[in-house]
Amino acid sequence: MSTDVMAAEWLKLRTVRSTSAFLVAAAAATLLGMTLLFLLIQAFDAATTAEQANFETADPTVVIMPFVMFFIGAIGALSITGSPDPGLLAVPHRRLLLASKAAVSGAIGLLAGGAFALLSFIGARLLLGDRPPPLNPWPEWTDALPTIGCTALVVAVTSVVGVGLGAVLRSTAATLLTLGGLILVAPTLAHFLPTVWHLRLATVLLPNLTPQITGADHPYLLSRPGAVVVLAGYMIVALVAGALALGRRDVS
Amino acid sequence: MISVRDLTKTYGSTRALDGLSFDARPGVVTGFLGANGAGKSTALRILLALHHADSGEALIDGRRYDQIDRPLHTVGAVLDAGAAHPGRTAFHHLACLARSNRIDRSRVTTVLSQTGLADVAHKRVGGFSLGMRQRLGLAAALLGDPSVLVLDEPVNGLDAAGIRWIRSTLRALAAEGRTVLLSSHLMSEAALTVDHVLIIGEGRLLAETSVAALPRSLEDFYLTMTGEVAA
Repeated sequence: MSTDVMAAEWLKLRTVRSTSAFLVAAAAATLLGMTLLFLLIQAFDAATTAEQANFETADPTVVIMPFVMFFIGAIGALSITGSPDPGLLAVPHRRLLLASKAAVSGAIGLLAGGAFALLSFIGARLLLGDRPPPLNPWPEWTDALPTIGCTALVVAVTSVVGVGLGAVLRSTAATLLTLGGLILVAPTLAHFLPTVWHLRLATVLLPNLTPQITGADHPYLLSRPGAVVVLAGYMIVALVAGALALGRRDVS
Repeated sequence: MISVRDLTKTYGSTRALDGLSFDARPGVVTGFLGANGAGKSTALRILLALHHADSGEALIDGRRYDQIDRPLHTVGAVLDAGAAHPGRTAFHHLACLARSNRIDRSRVTTVLSQTGLADVAHKRVGGFSLGMRQRLGLAAALLGDPSVLVLDEPVNGLDAAGIRWIRSTLRALAAEGRTVLLSSHLMSEAALTVDHVLIIGEGRLLAETSVAALPRSLEDFYLTMTGEVAA
């Protein structure tokens, strides 16, 4: 039955406008990121050699992917909060229903996250040309592959977190607010903490796990296996909390 | 066959069900009658595994609803006219349900025609009237050609033609040997539709009888039975 339920969940996501709206929003965020990169490259070209050495890396995924994560994660959240009836009359086995929603949302996250990361990489390569590091984060195109793969994985986990949050919070507004807080607001707020606490908090935030898993240059505290464990922890906590909440709840 | 035994349910300090027991048999339309707040919807939601009972059991053909594999083949339910996603078309709403229970997609077209929604099949549910959404709920219930139908206030929002249509549909389904359990607080309508009545008040079964065996009108019988509770 599980493949039927997953096929139905895929059909549900395909047949509501919010899914395409969030994908368009993620594409718009990617385009905006490319525009910012273009402006950064213009400033780089106008700078002196000494100034160019102080430019930060122009990895567009740092700016773009938190927004992509939020928009794709929102698709997962709406798979459970978007309808008054989450589908329990057709699929009364609650854990199966939640697992199917998580699997489909995770797969969408993996594909969409990978696609937007790849688009960002291609756009950045075209814009950066043969400009040197540190502005150019990927002197060889193969250098970007781990980042694209890990970004897809982190976006997939974010989608599953969206499903779990939706199952716990039940409300679309509360779920999107929490997801936005986790992905977009917390990394900014972390900067206002003392350095030690900033690093401790920023290290475990979803958007900052990608460089820790790929082993790229980063200021955070986790080893690569440690970052993988934290990423897996997000998924496990979201699914267990969602299963407990949905399992105990009386549904209208 | 629906069997409910000693069902209890409490919400906070409110006892919604207090040892409710009843059966609904195949081949007849069973009316589940009671005032608003009597416990009808709670009992139906427990029967359909949407709410958890504190104690007791509610079985359909000997199994709990959540133990039935692909339940839409066995049970069709109409609970809430607002259950469909407003942004999805009627066709896609039913197609999603059909896919989850491995029901042939041709049934979607069949039940849309059967419920008079063929012309609006590809319109979004958000633009439907309450009556159209009730018809869509019934279409969803009929999708798997089930042997048991559970309907909570199905005539709410329907016009006169719709009420007559649902009445004849339910009677025809029962005549085919299906179990039909229908909740209502409208006695005059129930009198025209049901064969057997269960009267519920304060979460308990107050009376049950065949409509044909009633010495007076269903409304009088109902008021007498519920009046006894009030006293």
